[in-house]
Amino acid sequence: MKEMKLSFDPYNLIIAGVGGQGNVLASRVVGNMLSRKGFTVTIGETFGGSQRGGSVMSHLRVSSESSFSPQIPKGRAHLVLGLEPAETIRVLAAYGNPDVLALCNLRPIHPVQVISGELDYPDLEDAKGWVKELSRKAWFLNATDTALEMGLPILGNIIMIGAMAALGELPLEREDFERAVSLTMPTDRISINLEAFDRGREMVEAA
Amino acid sequence: MRIFGPNELKADVQDKGLCVGCGACVNLCPYFKNHQGKTVMLFPCTLEKGRCHAYCPKTEVDYTELSQARWKRPYDASPLGTHDGVVMARAGEGRVEGRVQAGGTVSALTAFALREGMIEEAVLTNREGLVPVPQMVGDETGIYGCATSKYTAAPTLSEVNRAAREGIRNVGVVATPCQATALALMRENPLDREDFVDPVSLVIGLFCTWALDTRKLIPFLESRVDVSRIQWMDIPPPPAEVFVLDLGNEEIQIPLDEIRALVPRGCLLCPDMTSEWADVSVGVLEGEPEWNTLIVRTEKGRALVDKAVEAGSIVVKEMPAANLEHLRTAALNKKKRAVARAREENLLNNTDEGERAAFRMDPSVVEELTGS
Amino acid sequence: MSHLLTDEPGSRILLMGNEAIARGALEAGVNVAAGYPGTPSSEIIETLSKVARDRGLYVEWSANEKVAMEVAAAASFAGLRSLCVMKQNGVNVGSDFLLHLGLTGTRGGMVLVPCDDPGALSSINEGESRQFARLLELPLLEPGDFQELKDMIVWAFQLSEEIRNLVFVRSVTRLSHASGNVVLGPLPGETRKARFKHRGFILDEMEGVVASMPMEYRHRRQQEKLKQAVERFESSPFNTYTGPEHPELVVITSSACHLYSREAIHLLGVEDRVGLLKLGTTFPLPPVFMEKHLGLTDRFLVVEEVIPFLEENVKILAQELAPRIGPKTIMGKRDGRLPTVGELNPDLVVEALASLVEVPYESAPEAYVKRGQELMFFGAPNRELTFCPGCPHRASFWSIHNALELDGRDGFVCGDIGCYTLAVLPTGFSTLKTLHAMGSGTGVASGFGKLGRFGMDQPVVSVCGDSTFFHAAMPALINAIHHGSDITMVVLDNSGTAMTGFQPHPGLDVDALGHKAPAISIEDVCRSLGAQVRVCDPFDLETTQATLLELLDRAGVKVLILRQICGLSPEKKRHKKYEVAVNPEVCLGEACGCNRLCTRIFRCPGLIWDKRAGKARVDEVLGTGCGVFASICAKGAIEKVENREVTG
Repeated sequence: MKEMKLSFDPYNLIIAGVGGQGNVLASRVVGNMLSRKGFTVTIGETFGGSQRGGSVMSHLRVSSESSFSPQIPKGRAHLVLGLEPAETIRVLAAYGNPDVLALCNLRPIHPVQVISGELDYPDLEDAKGWVKELSRKAWFLNATDTALEMGLPILGNIIMIGAMAALGELPLEREDFERAVSLTMPTDRISINLEAFDRGREMVEAA
Repeated sequence: MRIFGPNELKADVQDKGLCVGCGACVNLCPYFKNHQGKTVMLFPCTLEKGRCHAYCPKTEVDYTELSQARWKRPYDASPLGTHDGVVMARAGEGRVEGRVQAGGTVSALTAFALREGMIEEAVLTNREGLVPVPQMVGDETGIYGCATSKYTAAPTLSEVNRAAREGIRNVGVVATPCQATALALMRENPLDREDFVDPVSLVIGLFCTWALDTRKLIPFLESRVDVSRIQWMDIPPPPAEVFVLDLGNEEIQIPLDEIRALVPRGCLLCPDMTSEWADVSVGVLEGEPEWNTLIVRTEKGRALVDKAVEAGSIVVKEMPAANLEHLRTAALNKKKRAVARAREENLLNNTDEGERAAFRMDPSVVEELTGS
Repeated sequence: MSHLLTDEPGSRILLMGNEAIARGALEAGVNVAAGYPGTPSSEIIETLSKVARDRGLYVEWSANEKVAMEVAAAASFAGLRSLCVMKQNGVNVGSDFLLHLGLTGTRGGMVLVPCDDPGALSSINEGESRQFARLLELPLLEPGDFQELKDMIVWAFQLSEEIRNLVFVRSVTRLSHASGNVVLGPLPGETRKARFKHRGFILDEMEGVVASMPMEYRHRRQQEKLKQAVERFESSPFNTYTGPEHPELVVITSSACHLYSREAIHLLGVEDRVGLLKLGTTFPLPPVFMEKHLGLTDRFLVVEEVIPFLEENVKILAQELAPRIGPKTIMGKRDGRLPTVGELNPDLVVEALASLVEVPYESAPEAYVKRGQELMFFGAPNRELTFCPGCPHRASFWSIHNALELDGRDGFVCGDIGCYTLAVLPTGFSTLKTLHAMGSGTGVASGFGKLGRFGMDQPVVSVCGDSTFFHAAMPALINAIHHGSDITMVVLDNSGTAMTGFQPHPGLDVDALGHKAPAISIEDVCRSLGAQVRVCDPFDLETTQATLLELLDRAGVKVLILRQICGLSPEKKRHKKYEVAVNPEVCLGEACGCNRLCTRIFRCPGLIWDKRAGKARVDEVLGTGCGVFASICAKGAIEKVENREVTG
């Protein structure tokens, strides 16, 4: 079971997004995939206020040894999966370090104070530059746009998981994903989720 | 004119209790609303300049500028304002249905203007219970429902704003002096908006010494009578000094001194008794309860009166000199009181940085009004 | 089948903390579970309700926490095993009952799981339930990881039956709402039969009367039971020491702080210098076990959340043991090394520990941290909490706010806990002016409404949710009516306990097990109490506002029920009632006198301001199709078209 080596132990992954984006579900899918492979997984997440427009983070700690704090120490993330550009920057700033990797969905969700005109949302090109500046390597995807093309915006998260699998940082195989979704999703949703996973993978491989 | 925005309007007028609820700022935007006679700002608005402020008759009204624009001459504080003649008038025999105040001249003129097509709609003031509500009427029968004095400040101009927004044109307005002032400001398109169209083609002004605050009047009356029985309210011309409530089978008189406590502070800053910015102005006539005083001010007003007389809609007579003199004195006294009060409250001709005025007049005019 | 029913002892699965607690209850053979929803506790009862049929359980969402305790206690009195679950506030609600329960004792095992919320991640306070254990003289357990969340529940049931009294198992958000791997134990086969025995001798704890008198006898018995618990704690597997034989310093910790402390020691690389004393049985502390470990060194750092509960208990014990173990330096919260406000995390523990062991620590290179802070300022605008897109509360507070402004008498709203708490913020137009416990809005309003004789002439409005109405607002309403208070109570009825995930409540026609249940009509209750009652759809802004204005003008107690189902509710989420769009031909944007009312003031996340076009635009992903925007725009630029087909 534990033959697979992690590049770091624990491997610290943060999924960053906004309430209502399906952050928690995404972290469960990834956690289950890794747990089934025999890793010890700890997922820390903040929800409650999360459906109400606030920032949401899920901290995943993957280890072949033991469980860890559900909160990753500051500056110790290895990979940030950002479901939203500004949240990617926010999480990198707190938990990143010069060696962190970032995978960022480019669909902005405007904070209410941006909608009201009190605050500014960064220009997307600037945001991309800053994500790059705060990471060793960064990948950018239009996952929500692709998901909208597929008819279901929430699939953006699965596209992101597919993309993350393609990075090869964590042992996330397509079969693991297939097993995870077949256990948690209604049968009529499985194939579209697999398609989304593949689309994400292709997007990274093409990049 | 110094024009500011909603924040200054709120600070200078609403928050200082100077708002008389005329409705000039209502229905221009989603922020200002009038409910039961009181105008409120629902949410903060950040615009630096707004029509709400520009139209308000209680802040930064520059009489010199307004007079130049409207009359092409400086404001000289003459007691009755610019006019072309003063007569006594009443509705022609059988020309007015139902109960009207004094001589019924306002209703008769409005009906005539509608009938003759001088206006297409008339904006009047009706009441629901004791709460005055603006009403737009398109025919004579609607007029008489609104034909009595309300004595409470009414958001009549909100209906004019609504009409303007909805593309209704050729509107006649029966307006108190503050409302007539606001209409005069409004018709100058003070913000130079390209989409501006003047919806108003006739203003029939009312004489007014002061109005009553609806929110104060209702509990005041409720504590004395069953308000649902009130059929009619009247302040007979001097020297009566009473407020009369007709309850159908009985009449109640309340001394005016008690009533004066219900006057909004904004009325005390008003230098206009006779609706100087209207086309014609109408009020009571001392000692003659069946007649009105009628002041003709503009060419349009002149044409209306002449045609109405010709058609028998109204009857006019020469005004006795003594009455005219009393009217002038009363009107001048209102100006003097207003200027003195504005000066006392530091609301006159302020020029310092950050300081704003309720109204502005030429210093020589102020001198004249306060000197003697 | 739920993964929670996996019957493979020894297998290891990923469970959310609350699922682990539920699994523990199942492994202990729980029969009855009752609770009141509240983050972070809700998933425990939810999970159990899903497996209730399979496991033959009775599970209910009670009307409030006190009733939940009473329901669970009844099961215990009848010899069953029962679990009672709530968030931290709930223990306060039920504490009156607990004070008596501690004296009467229990029969079948009874475990109370309060889930605290250090840092108030989803609460409006961070009150601690641990103090109740000391106050009520009942044993307290604190699981320190995911495995223990399950195992300690099983152990707690055994303990409860040994001492015949209630046992507290305290969880916290960071455990309840986190997930980790748990090795499963067996699920028991047999089930118990319920029988309440009451004909025995009056002092017979198993067959006599269940009453707290004679007080002195019962109180003494309660304290004996507590001593019995302490004896069991001495050998508890949940109290462990890891570290060197002669440490320079020992960290004493419990609960989630155990994981932070372990990580902090690891991050500093001081495993050979610092020991870790992890306590699972934190009240009362086992003195023999503690004496042994307090003897390891002279310096201790107590790491716990939120206030120094453990620290004080350790200090008391250290003082008592001093003649034998000598004076000890016990650091933690009272000396300010760790904050007494908010939750802890690995970084805070590292900071405190680093200074004690004199090891430098840097989370990331200084230049990176500095640049990160700069970029966060420009790149990550603050996310103020907001009502969800399409939330009926936004519409309700819009009308309440506007009605109070139009009324013009400086009226205000008293509120309590629920999603609508957010109305203290601009998302609810800053309408809420007092905010306290469940039902307090109406209670406080009832008091304000009697102050007319002291010159107060402001209209008083209270708000409460539909679930809160049954939980605690009803007595306040009765009080207001009986005393002739002048208030307008607004019941924000979104048909479910929305904040915590749509648990049913007495106003709905379904119970926690999914069975049909008689729904109690809020309007009928209010009418029968004598209130003037009106019901409106909050999405109909005009009618709602007019109704409110009318009610504000009347004397006495008025109730306005604003009924519109929560936008996140499963039945509503899939269907957009209207297609809503901004007509760019009509929207004048910045040129309009509206000064962006829709986005600047109404600020629903479903509508965004397109800076480039200078106009509003509906967000196709976030918009819910409630249609309210159409009533907000004075220009009529936001158009709605009703969707015909109804999806299931």
